[in-house]
Amino acid sequence: MQPDAAASVSIPPGTAAGFAPVRRATEDPRWVRLALTAFALGAVGLIVVVPIANVFAGAFTEGIGAYLKNLTADADTLHSILLTLTVVPIALVANTIFGIAAAWAVSRFTFPGRTLLVALIDLPFSVSPVVAGLMFVLIFGLQGYFGPFLRSDGYAIMPYVIAVLVVTAAAIAYLLFRPRDKAALRGFWKLPPLLVLGAGGAALFTALVFGQQALEVWPKNTSLKIIFATPGLILATSFVTFPFVARELIPVLDAVGPEEELAALSLGANGWQMFWHVTVPNVKWGLAYGLILCNARAMGEFGAVYVVSGHIAGQTDTMPLRIEKLFQEYNLPGSFAVASLLTMVAILTLIVKSKLEQHLPAPTNRVESDP
Amino acid sequence: MSIVIKNVSKRFGTFAAVDDVSLKVPDGSLLALLGPSGSGKTTLLRIIAGLEVADQGTVMHHEEDITGYSPRERKVGFVFQHYALFRHMTIADNIGYGLRVRGVPKPERMERVNELLKLIRLDTFGSRYPSQLSGGQRQRVALARALAARPAVLLLDEPFGALDAKVRQELRQWLRRLHEEIHVTSVFVTHDQEEAFEVADHVVVMNRGRIEQMGTPAEVFEHPANAFVMDFLGNVNVFRGKVERGKAVITGLEVAAPEHSDSGAGEAEVYVRPHDLVIEQKRNGAAAIEARVVHVNPTGSRAKVELRALDSEQVIIAELTEERYQELRLSPGDHVFVSARRARVFAPQYSI
Repeated sequence: MQPDAAASVSIPPGTAAGFAPVRRATEDPRWVRLALTAFALGAVGLIVVVPIANVFAGAFTEGIGAYLKNLTADADTLHSILLTLTVVPIALVANTIFGIAAAWAVSRFTFPGRTLLVALIDLPFSVSPVVAGLMFVLIFGLQGYFGPFLRSDGYAIMPYVIAVLVVTAAAIAYLLFRPRDKAALRGFWKLPPLLVLGAGGAALFTALVFGQQALEVWPKNTSLKIIFATPGLILATSFVTFPFVARELIPVLDAVGPEEELAALSLGANGWQMFWHVTVPNVKWGLAYGLILCNARAMGEFGAVYVVSGHIAGQTDTMPLRIEKLFQEYNLPGSFAVASLLTMVAILTLIVKSKLEQHLPAPTNRVESDP
Repeated sequence: MSIVIKNVSKRFGTFAAVDDVSLKVPDGSLLALLGPSGSGKTTLLRIIAGLEVADQGTVMHHEEDITGYSPRERKVGFVFQHYALFRHMTIADNIGYGLRVRGVPKPERMERVNELLKLIRLDTFGSRYPSQLSGGQRQRVALARALAARPAVLLLDEPFGALDAKVRQELRQWLRRLHEEIHVTSVFVTHDQEEAFEVADHVVVMNRGRIEQMGTPAEVFEHPANAFVMDFLGNVNVFRGKVERGKAVITGLEVAAPEHSDSGAGEAEVYVRPHDLVIEQKRNGAAAIEARVVHVNPTGSRAKVELRALDSEQVIIAELTEERYQELRLSPGDHVFVSARRARVFAPQYSI
């Protein structure tokens, strides 16, 4: 810095000092700037742009007709696309519900184990996807804990699963639709909530379980496949993409703060109205951001899915697995054609993501003169 | 509607935020909860609103026990210190929200919203968003929003705390006028004693989760119940001395303390407001503290004089009327005699 400072001081006599080129203290010499920029551009070009361009080049080597044929003519490829389009939305819905619940709990309540929950939300990021897949194989696989049972009479659990889901939904509906004004309570609503939830829930559960068993809704003594089948793919994909929504929502919920929600309550909103009128509009961009990242990751997931899928062509191959299989079979144009689809999803994700980022920072609506 | 609070307590962990407080807010009055930060005033307000649940005690509206009611059933309007306007809704939607969640049809809602926009003098701002408004305007919107559903009680949490001094002054007077117009029972929380005295017709002074004193502003200011209230309500000089047979004796000063006449001899603290101190240049026979003038600040309606007692080195603040100041012509270094026109004697019990 010293020699430069000296140089800018020794302006030739006659030059007005005000016209001397201004250089800020934080500005590096021109050659440093040029070299760094060139290096960054070169690295991005070599590592990112060239390979991506190559995917499309590879996909289109035999022309557009061949490209479309590669995608549509092969039944197994078509099935892999459909399978991915089935697995990913289910994983997204599951992770959205979980993510909102977890982010809400973490940013709105203090409870013992809160820090542990935050750490556990992040766990799937640090576990290798292959290990994640293996965990599910160890639980649900043939040699796993539930393997023998699932294999001999797997559908026997379905009445219970369905009953739990229905009872939970009924309990939520009861809590949501129960009139808030005590004066408006009449008839059924006058019964004490604990009695309705406890006795009613138990009765409904029993009726559903025995009803399904009596009517033989589910096949008996039939194997219920989780590993090497779609449920396993959904489980593995959900696990790997589990943190995205929650992680994006927690900072947004923290920044927005609980004050507007309290205001809504004080104005007479119930919890449901508060959530939809105030919380959701305030976090919608953060939620969309989390979903788009979650979607990108879920579409491209390979490791965990690889372990649980068993590679049955036309049955359990998702798009990334299909790409690998086509590649192994030396069908390079076919492999690149499927890869180009995933690449397009990635580019689309990038565009949507950068659009969403403009909406993201909306910290508070407080004035600057705050103490 | 009057509010009655009976033996309400609220603890956060081991900290007693509100400690066995009982209070009555008369119908149609404007009451100020005044106290330093951490005195439990905001917690008490939130308990009245139903935003916080009391551990013990009851809250009544008129004759009705509303302790277990949700905020919705309580029909309260709550104004937050930082406005808490819904940032994604227009001003009109913000104001109409309380009616919307109660299922009031749109035409009726819009009518009420326009009426309130006129009341807060923001008629043309209905379609703007909170971020396009100044702090004072936002606070008026927050007030209109709280009033929209015609609440039985209006609760304000440090409503002017985040505003600059001039806007704060305007809004105070506006709130006072508004209250005279609509006469809704109101409780507001503040740590600014000037604000409390200016706006409220009843003042409740709180400290450490307890009520120290309640009364009209005049009662509280003229007859502070204890040393804390005296100290909190403005500048005060504290002299340490002894109380004996109805008299407090400080070195060089004697003050009648009839309320302590039957108690035995003991330690005493004598509280004197700066404007109750008398400064003389000559000893006039009566007991007085000898002091030296340190600093004189003649600006404002009263001249402020900083003195230092010669024997105890204690700093004394006195305020003189302009005439008296012109008469005395004090300058730093002058030797003067200080006596008290009026003083309050408390047994030393508390520490801030």
